Amino acid sequence: MNLKLVLRVVSRVMVLEAIAILLPMLVALLYRESPIPFALSSALLLVVGLLLARIPSKKHFYTREGFFSVGLIWLLTGIAGALPFYFSGEFASFVDCMFESYSGFTTTGASILTTIETHSKGILFWRSFTHWMGGMGVLVLVTAIVPSMGIRSHYLTQAETPGPVFSKLVPKQAQTSKILYQIYCVLTLAEVACLKLAGMPLYDAFIHSFSSAGTGGFSNRNISVGAYNSAAIELIITVFILLFSLNFALYFLLLTRRFREVLESDELRFFLGVVAVSTLLIAVNILPMYETIWQSLRYAVFQVASIISTTGFSSTDFALWPQFSQAILILLMFFGACAGSTGGGIKSSRILILLRSIRRELHRISHPNSVEVIKLDGKVLEEDTVRSVLSFVGCYMLILFLATLVISLDNFSFTVSFSSALTCLSNVGPGLEAVGPMGNFSAFSPLSKLVMSACMVIGRLEIMPILILFSPLAWKKV
Amino acid sequence: MKIVIVGNGKVGYTLAQQLVREEHDIVVVDTDESALRRASDALDVMGVRGNGVSASTLRDAGADEADLLISATDSDEVNMICCLTAKNLGTKYTIARIRNPEYANGVNDLRRILGIDMIINPENATAVEISRLLRFPSAANIETFCRGRVELMGFRLLAEDFLVGKPLRNLSSQVKKLSLLFCAVERDSDVIIPNGAFVPQAGDKLYLIGRPTSLDQFFHTLGRYTPSVKNVFIVGGGKISLYLAAILDKMKIKVKLVERNLERCRFISEELPHTTVLCGDGTDQEFLESERLPESDAFVALTDRDEDNLIISLYAMQQGLPKVIAKCNRQNYTSIARAIGLDSVISPKLITAQHILQVVRGMQNSQGSVMNALYRIADGAAEAMEFTVSPSTNYLGVSLRDLRLKPGILISVIVRGNQIIIPEGSTSLQANDNVIIISRNSGVLDLNDIYQSADAYNRSDLTEEAGGAQ
Repeated sequence: MNLKLVLRVVSRVMVLEAIAILLPMLVALLYRESPIPFALSSALLLVVGLLLARIPSKKHFYTREGFFSVGLIWLLTGIAGALPFYFSGEFASFVDCMFESYSGFTTTGASILTTIETHSKGILFWRSFTHWMGGMGVLVLVTAIVPSMGIRSHYLTQAETPGPVFSKLVPKQAQTSKILYQIYCVLTLAEVACLKLAGMPLYDAFIHSFSSAGTGGFSNRNISVGAYNSAAIELIITVFILLFSLNFALYFLLLTRRFREVLESDELRFFLGVVAVSTLLIAVNILPMYETIWQSLRYAVFQVASIISTTGFSSTDFALWPQFSQAILILLMFFGACAGSTGGGIKSSRILILLRSIRRELHRISHPNSVEVIKLDGKVLEEDTVRSVLSFVGCYMLILFLATLVISLDNFSFTVSFSSALTCLSNVGPGLEAVGPMGNFSAFSPLSKLVMSACMVIGRLEIMPILILFSPLAWKKV
Repeated sequence: MKIVIVGNGKVGYTLAQQLVREEHDIVVVDTDESALRRASDALDVMGVRGNGVSASTLRDAGADEADLLISATDSDEVNMICCLTAKNLGTKYTIARIRNPEYANGVNDLRRILGIDMIINPENATAVEISRLLRFPSAANIETFCRGRVELMGFRLLAEDFLVGKPLRNLSSQVKKLSLLFCAVERDSDVIIPNGAFVPQAGDKLYLIGRPTSLDQFFHTLGRYTPSVKNVFIVGGGKISLYLAAILDKMKIKVKLVERNLERCRFISEELPHTTVLCGDGTDQEFLESERLPESDAFVALTDRDEDNLIISLYAMQQGLPKVIAKCNRQNYTSIARAIGLDSVISPKLITAQHILQVVRGMQNSQGSVMNALYRIADGAAEAMEFTVSPSTNYLGVSLRDLRLKPGILISVIVRGNQIIIPEGSTSLQANDNVIIISRNSGVLDLNDIYQSADAYNRSDLTEEAGGAQ
């Protein structure tokens, strides 16, 4: 393990974060709030970053170092992001700050804040901005703007980009990262403009755009998007969170006029199909609670989009919906967004591969000698990829149950423990009952909060980078 | 530039590695997923899985807007079709590797009919390289510029050579009179561009550039002159050996060729009537001795196993053969071989890559000064390039002592008309000169790249003296 080089990479991220914190500082200054928490955190990160940058190191950067640095960087990023919260004095303990920061960077959107409106604008802005940075990826940003670090940068972005198969858009990694961030920025600004036009205040428009871009879910209102009670705003957000939960490679294909390939994307069709079917089922199921079919459709589609994209906004308290609808939402939390998006969850393409390999197993029982390959988007998948998807889903379940076990120590109902573990691991945000859209996570013990924070990072990085951090194999010299 | 490389074998990978370092956009196409993964794991390239002959695969790889496509799969036919398809899709320049000797005679027709811009035959290129080394056995390696009027050669310094331990500027007038220049020194895997104060040590590999006759005289003075080779002993009867034997035959050099496989021996004997073909195990020392190996002037090991080549080359060196050449494709063996005194190690894959690289470099500066030749010396740590000076080159007519060149750059030889000039402080560049530049940092694509930028021009005095005070 080349720890020195890993620390060099860490230093770049720290400096980047120090710069990023200046943005909420500007917001704080604009609203005549104290810029001290931000200035202090920024200075601290800058010093740490510059000190680490001085470590001399040899070039020796392989997969192990790549995964290791991603894990380490995400753990440290969360702690660094907690600094402004901590210095602001608006949070009860550092564990709370860390929970909020991890929830931000991993685009979970679970909060321990009980009364959001009372907090300062700068802090709320930073909270949402962490969604934006974490959504596309901190390291993707680093590779996009920092000129070549002299290391194989695709190891970094590969671990941070969700999905079973990693592929670049263009031959150069730095260029790929740039294109991704350009698409990301344009879509985000488009959403800000739309929300502003629909009557949302500019500050709120930015907060909600950052949150939906990263598919995070932090709002500056206690009852989330429901506070505006505007069908137009809900529609805009629905469309954009669905856009952000699609594979960004599709936008690149659109830009390069390869429309056929977009239409032929299995994952896209599957994802949209799941959204449509669940919306219809929920709309019919909740019809008795609302006056018209249009109203029940409006709430159903918003909630389905919000959950499957793993954003976690809410326009109404879905914890009050019938059990069937809630069960569908829980299923959608597993599903998650598409590969190569900013969303979390298991990812549609993995579910699709899983289903296809189950079908193959069934086929094999009736025809024991059959040979069949699994395809995605018309391309044959390597057996390695199929295997890794299966073990990924297995790992996901295992971690989910382990986390539920630890959270159960707090003696909440099983629904609360399970749904809070799932919502954190899938980076959604709200769970059911006490942790539902109108509740929050402040009641849990510090241990549970740490476990949930860990779940969020594990979910965001898709398990392996974090597991390797704690594996003795990674620390061995040989 | 956008470059598509089809086939991620030895040559494909080496090329990708080098071209990525020069900041090109590389897409690698291969049918084998693991080969692709090896490339995209280690290099900043994009992998496209598929067969290079299929238009849709090539379109996926961006061949429709690529500047260059290099097809280096192990099948000649695939390479031809691939280039043909790519050319039709819109690739500007295509290079195919075609190695089958049966195609060798009709190569020019193939090129014309299929619209392939360049055909490279690694085995033939390697054989040409070896024959060059045999023509001038004193040097460990040798490159030519300006159609052979200037040569660059490297040789290892021994402890008893008179150069050792004295600064270059104190060399006897006899040496100074010769029109040659010490242009680079390889020491402990480091490359130094020497100036007058440089003190050579035993074990350094010196690179000399100059007029071939001057180089000859220099080696005479050094007492290292090896008379020209009259007979050569080749082990291994592969394609390279066949090409080489044919070339040597034209040079009236007697060839003994050892091959294990009887069928192959018969075939070689049919192709090369003047060559003595021996059927036997080339790694068997008794057999080699019985065939009078020690009496040969030169030994070339060309079996398909790197290890065998190195070991029998060592044996030949031990037998006191003046010139020993070994083929070795694996680069990490080369430094080990060098450590035990085996200097002439050649790698077909590097030679092929170098030929193609030269084309890529040439394409890049279609405007400005034209690069005529490019050689990578000292294991690729330095490059020797030949440019033709165009009127648009900066600082024409400014004497070299007033120029501020980037560090690690040396103007080694200027060829003006019939003159070969070893530059001094007062020399200046003129339009239509051919200059040979030695550079430690790759990235010199145009003659104007050798100058420091204008602001650095004023404050930096770090530049190494152009020409040197040798």
